[in-house]
Amino acid sequence: MSDGDGTTNAGMAGGGSRPEAAPIVRVRSLSKVYRQGDIDVTALNSVSVDIQPGEFVVLMGPSGSGKSTLLHIVAGIDRPTSGEVEVQGINVGNLDESDLAEWRNQYVGFVFQSFNLIPVLTAAENVELPLLLTRLGRSQRRAQVRAALELVGLGDRMHHRPDQLSGGQQQRVAIARALVTDPVLVVADEPTGNLDAKSASDVLGILSSLARDAGKTVIMVTHDPKAAAFGTRSLHLEKGEIVS
Amino acid sequence: MTPWTFILKNALRNPRRSLLTVSSVAVSAALLTSMMTLQRELTVPPESEGASLRIIARNKVSLVQPLPARQLPEIERIPGVVAVTPFTYFGGQYNDEEFTSFAQFAVEPRRFRSLLVEGRVSDGDYDAWEKDRTSCMVGRDTMKRYELKVGDRMRFRGTFYPCDLDLKIAAVFEGTVDDRGVFFHHKLLDELTGDLGTVGTWYLRVESAEKVPEVISRIDGQFANTAAEVRAESERAFQMGFVGMLGNVSALIRTVNGVIVFTLALVSASTMSMAVRERFREMAVLKALGYKRRDLLGFILAEGFGLSVLGGALGIGGAWAAWTLLDIQKLTGGIFIVFEVTPRIMASAGLVAAVLGVVSSLAPAISVGRMSVVSGLKTLD
Ligand SMILES: Nc1ncnc2c1ncn2[C@@H]1O[C@H](COP(=O)(O)OP(=O)(O)OP(=O)(O)O)[C@@H](O)[C@H]1O
Ligand SMILES: [Mg+2]
Repeated sequence: MSDGDGTTNAGMAGGGSRPEAAPIVRVRSLSKVYRQGDIDVTALNSVSVDIQPGEFVVLMGPSGSGKSTLLHIVAGIDRPTSGEVEVQGINVGNLDESDLAEWRNQYVGFVFQSFNLIPVLTAAENVELPLLLTRLGRSQRRAQVRAALELVGLGDRMHHRPDQLSGGQQQRVAIARALVTDPVLVVADEPTGNLDAKSASDVLGILSSLARDAGKTVIMVTHDPKAAAFGTRSLHLEKGEIVS
Repeated sequence: MTPWTFILKNALRNPRRSLLTVSSVAVSAALLTSMMTLQRELTVPPESEGASLRIIARNKVSLVQPLPARQLPEIERIPGVVAVTPFTYFGGQYNDEEFTSFAQFAVEPRRFRSLLVEGRVSDGDYDAWEKDRTSCMVGRDTMKRYELKVGDRMRFRGTFYPCDLDLKIAAVFEGTVDDRGVFFHHKLLDELTGDLGTVGTWYLRVESAEKVPEVISRIDGQFANTAAEVRAESERAFQMGFVGMLGNVSALIRTVNGVIVFTLALVSASTMSMAVRERFREMAVLKALGYKRRDLLGFILAEGFGLSVLGGALGIGGAWAAWTLLDIQKLTGGIFIVFEVTPRIMASAGLVAAVLGVVSSLAPAISVGRMSVVSGLKTLD
């Protein structure tokens, strides 16, 4: 309804001059309010934004500005107090718990700050986890796992457990796990927060090539301006609102 | 990888804890199995073919009250009675034993012969025993236990009776449910005690099992309103009468069983909730990846159930092996002849382990189900 709202669709940072195709993510008047006793904490205040396919959107802003909250709601692991999120025409808010889980499995890949791999599983098994929920057969799963790990440069680390991998390698396994189902949307919350500069730039390189070469839509939260430079567009949040 | 690989790897992720869980379930299950077996052995005496044909008639006042020997001809005349013998518990101490676990009975060998329905003489000679007033017939188990042979002597010190016995072994019997007893001539007992003209009980055999109730009421009726009223019972009922005295023991065993199950429940519940609590964040990640509540419930249940059932199987199997392979008679000083772990007992103990496995997984599974992805991701490892 508020397409003309100056705070959205503001920039085309990164020089990408994509045609105005249908946005893959449409966020409309999204609010999230936490009620703590008598006080209401507004994490998001009527946020609206459109994101085009293949964009690498970077969310920045001070701590507590609502970056993670926005990311979580768009990715379907949290629910808004009001407003709507549509991804590829599907209104995420209308899905029930179980459908939402299936939707996440098909449409979203997650990358977290602290890798969040299962320590008792090998790299390949960790990457295979989301595929166990699909109808794919064993050999097909294996092929996809291999392809995903090769894409992040870890084809030779398939059978290593997380504790046998460096932080940067673990995060790349996590990216492979996010990619393996071929989702349209990849969300990453401070993916480089725990990494050294070299590993961070490896990870950022992979994420930006996902958007550029594989046509995925990537949304990343970061505090690091150097990391932000990898994105095609930056959104700045402050006190639950997009300010630029 | 299959979901089963994942469950297995989860169950083994903390091998020491899994081992402790499995072994505590195993020990408890073994204990439970043993206690149930003990209770069964105490309350269900071994079934024998002859027991349904035999009657024991005792003094109505109490078992220790003797009966007059002159009742014999009257009992013998009751239709359906095939044979009747005096049957007097001597209760002596063998050699210098503190506690003698096998009984000695004074009987009339000639009349006793047909009461030995399922038993047979395997060594020596029944006739030789019958002829020699100072000889005895001994059960195979007692012969073996004390390494005796035919011709050896057995000495007993009287505890109820103010006399001792010195008996020569003339025959050995086996094939009864309890091949331990020593039988000797009632005549000898009468001589040694100065002919009291009494017997402990009457032991009789009836033509057929159908006639037993009738014979019992005839005997009871026969001596009603005499100085020595009689109470006749089938051998089985007589044994159960002893068991009645064990009622309190049974209640005690039941209480112990309850405590075992309760402890087992606490152990498995706390292990499972620990195992799940430290994986809360991983569960949240799995949810984010698309796993549903019921998938996670399945993982947790399978793990808890698996550990519990594995422990149960080891414990029950161990108890079965122990009680089957060990010589229980030797071990208990002859108090128990067998200690039979029946399939029914094993099934009940197994059921307890399985139900506990499920129950202990429920609470953690429910908390994982309730957890939102976002809150789960915030928990620290
Ligand atoms: N479960 C919650 N209960 C109450 N308030 C919450 C909860 N989660 C988040 N908030 C509040 O919502 C606001 C936005 O939080 P959010 O995590 O989105 O911030 P952020 O921009 O990601 O910050 P950071 O950079 O520190 O990660 C904050 O004020 C926070 O305190
Ligand atoms: Mg955050």
